[in-house]
Amino acid sequence: MTSSACPCCSGLSFETCCGPILAGAPAATAEALMRSRYTAFVRHDLDHVERTHAPEIREDFNRAEAERVADECDWQRLDVLRATEEGDEGTVEFLIQFRRDGQDMRHHERASFRRIDGQWFYSAGEVNPKGEPRRVVKVGRNEPCPCGSGKKFKACCGR
Amino acid sequence: MEPRFACTACGKCCHGLLPLTLTDAVAHAVRFPLALVWTVMRSNAKSYDLATRLGTTVRLPNRKTVAVLIQPSAYLPNHFPCPALQPDNLCGIHADKPSRCRTMPFYPYREEKDQADLLVPRKGWECDVSAEAPVVYRNHAILDRADFDRERAELLEQAPVMRTYADYVLKYMPWIVNDLAKMAAAPAGGKLVTSLSSFLTATRRTDARELAAAQAPLMQALAERTRNDPALADFHKNYAGWAKEMERLAQRP
Repeated sequence: MTSSACPCCSGLSFETCCGPILAGAPAATAEALMRSRYTAFVRHDLDHVERTHAPEIREDFNRAEAERVADECDWQRLDVLRATEEGDEGTVEFLIQFRRDGQDMRHHERASFRRIDGQWFYSAGEVNPKGEPRRVVKVGRNEPCPCGSGKKFKACCGR
Repeated sequence: MEPRFACTACGKCCHGLLPLTLTDAVAHAVRFPLALVWTVMRSNAKSYDLATRLGTTVRLPNRKTVAVLIQPSAYLPNHFPCPALQPDNLCGIHADKPSRCRTMPFYPYREEKDQADLLVPRKGWECDVSAEAPVVYRNHAILDRADFDRERAELLEQAPVMRTYADYVLKYMPWIVNDLAKMAAAPAGGKLVTSLSSFLTATRRTDARELAAAQAPLMQALAERTRNDPALADFHKNYAGWAKEMERLAQRP
């Protein structure tokens, strides 16, 4: 028996990666759940997507539209850009590349996950998330120059 | 000179997009292909305050706030006749026709005092505005106002539902804000169309399955009818996609 590569681009086989999760096994991490939800779209298994929504957003799920999206899109790849977990809260930022109506499209999202009774659920998503705010530190003219020269800013880079 | 107006039943206004009250949209779901049509009103628009009451307000990325009307509509290309328009140019459902058709040519999405230009027939329309026609509008007030008031009251009553829907869309389809911003920046404005399925999901309608069953064959027929017309490619894409959504929704347990 040959095993096929998992659609989530993990490099593992489907049987050892998303397969068991789609079959009902709990995902070990928020990232694993996120990957399995992508794989569910690729394999048109929207039941998995629906049952992994957190209770508070379950009724917001537009199943009819999701099924259409799954049909119409040619899913090309998933890249997990960042995945963090803290206790029962997880965040996964990801980029999905797909083709729809002959056009290359991207979906960039920062998704939130929550663990309830040992099971991870998708609870919210921010599409095209804004990065961390850039901090601009103002340097006073008489303060040491941030370049490390030891001179005052006004006598160095601030000239 | 007082504006005069009488309908000559030329049928010219019975074409294209038809905004409906939610009640009318539901009542006529077997007849009209339904969608939600979004229109942006900038804060300098005449009917801005009214639009904030009938619709919702949205803060754009440029920090400007606009009013947005969301109209349940019969979604048809401009030159497509109303499905209820008969060959003799009369309405096939005259006794039950939607509020929007009864109130014509007045428009309750605008203030009552701002209706005069709607009494000037649009190009190609054959409305009677001669001395023989009755006076219908005097001192910026509508003389026979029952239909106007009824449609306006329905719109005010449904406003909380439309706001619930707007909140849903902005949460789950946040990219729409960018489309609204583009419309707000364009001199001619513009319209944005969202699907009935997202509306049914957002408002948790218990009759979603019945409405979808009524809509599916309409969407399919229109998808066929628009299939080979490049000018109607957007309409075709929407009809075909929504046909699938309506079929699936209709089959849900």
